Amino acid sequence: MSQTFLRKWALITFASLLGFTLFVLPVIASSIYSFQKPGGKGYTFVSYTWLVHQDGFFQSLGTSLELAILAGILNIVLMVPTMVYLNLKGHRFKSVVDFICILPLVIPVVCLALGAQKAMPSFLQNTQYELVFFFVIIGLPFTYRALDTSLQTVALKTLVEASRSLGASWIRTIIRVIVPAIRSGITGALFLTFALSIGEYTITSLLHWETFPTWTVVASQQNILGAIALSVFSFVGAIALLSTIALFSKRSAQHVEVNE
Amino acid sequence: MGVVRAHTRVRSSGRGTDVLPLLPFFIFTGYFLLWPVIAVTLQSFKGNKNEWTLDNFRPIVHGGPYLHSFIVSIKLALITASIGAVVGAFFAFIIVTYVRGRLKNVIDSISAVFANSGGVPLAFMFIAAFGSNGLATKFIRALGFDIYAGHFTIFSFTGVVAVYTFFQAPLMILVFQPAISGMRKEWREASTNLGASALTYWRRVGIPVLLPPFIGAFFLLFAGGFSAYATTRALTSGTVSIVPIVIGALVDGNTQASQANLGAALAVGMILVAIVVMSGYVWAQKRATQWRQS
Repeated sequence: MSQTFLRKWALITFASLLGFTLFVLPVIASSIYSFQKPGGKGYTFVSYTWLVHQDGFFQSLGTSLELAILAGILNIVLMVPTMVYLNLKGHRFKSVVDFICILPLVIPVVCLALGAQKAMPSFLQNTQYELVFFFVIIGLPFTYRALDTSLQTVALKTLVEASRSLGASWIRTIIRVIVPAIRSGITGALFLTFALSIGEYTITSLLHWETFPTWTVVASQQNILGAIALSVFSFVGAIALLSTIALFSKRSAQHVEVNE
Repeated sequence: MGVVRAHTRVRSSGRGTDVLPLLPFFIFTGYFLLWPVIAVTLQSFKGNKNEWTLDNFRPIVHGGPYLHSFIVSIKLALITASIGAVVGAFFAFIIVTYVRGRLKNVIDSISAVFANSGGVPLAFMFIAAFGSNGLATKFIRALGFDIYAGHFTIFSFTGVVAVYTFFQAPLMILVFQPAISGMRKEWREASTNLGASALTYWRRVGIPVLLPPFIGAFFLLFAGGFSAYATTRALTSGTVSIVPIVIGALVDGNTQASQANLGAALAVGMILVAIVVMSGYVWAQKRATQWRQS
């Protein structure tokens, strides 16, 4: 008994130490670094404020936010009905959709960007909103998993039959019954797409649009400390945001279970 | 209730209309995912005067820098996927076995950030931490190890390997966890009741069950490492010539059709590698679900 107890704690300690060295240490190290005075001793916010005063900071940030929000919304509008239908009646098509949704992980994003240059009509190529469609595509593997997992935890058929027999239309059933039941999956899908979109670099740079990540790379050539500060800010910010959501969505998942 | 049943049966009786609610999805992915890939493939077989040709593939097959970039890319994907898979599987095991509730959720979402951050921020954070004057470098030096004693620099192939591990291992944590949680307690109990030791259990049950999903996850990691572009681009500004960077350089700012066609041919090469990897993934996935169903 005490031997397994010892082994358990030895394993946990080792894993914690390894995790700390591999993942936490670099984040802490770069965080401290980002507060260092350029070239000297002491700490300051100068790298953070420098960025804000650069040309294009707010503009590129605004562009990225806008595109990411649009991608998140389009993603939900497209995928929620699709996934609901798949889990309700379209089981035959599930493996096909699953396969298509895993493709963006496998097909190199560079190929997608080249293809976009070649295949998209010029009215689309002339606007930065073309990126929204490709952000949705890149988010598919994660959206599929998030929605599928949460759809499988609810008694979908019962919910739909109850709602339909009470006279609700299909659209009303989806909005008023299904969406609340799979809220955690939808928030998950929404934020993953948002996070992917706001950090997307490959397609954006190959299609020559300026969003926050591509602007950062250009800005970094003038001031590497500024770029590091920005990276730390976005990284730590993303961790803080998603951790908060994780705590919150746990609660809502329990809530749904209780309601059933 | 009966009314609803009858109603749904009428609606789904025509087999052809079953697919209708999925049309938006198929049209969307068909146009924005499959059509671009087809367009690149067609372009790779086009010559300067828009005629059909195999010339674009010649520089790749005949060796030289283009073939070399494929070797570099595959080597990079192989090394980082291996390290990431082993390290990530270990963490996934610890998390599934010992971590519960909120802490697990937080660790999962932190893993998601790390796994998806393969990109520009990661590169700069690594420069700050492991650059020659980075704080992590100094810290390790204070412990008595100088990572810069050899030929290591963060801007080289080994540097890129180190950075990739930073997102490969967390990705492994995410994709491998379901496989470990799918292992039933009863298997362990049954095997103990039959007199098997822990070692026998792992050799006869644990590893055979986990191997297919492990290989599947490895292929997924390989695909990610093979096609990653942003991290290497931001870190080395193009000195480590992996295929995506070569393609980017060929296509960027080049109006010459032949260059663009060569870029398309390289892209098709990447897709071919991806198809091989994907087949491996599908095969492993099939083996993995076979166990679960029986």
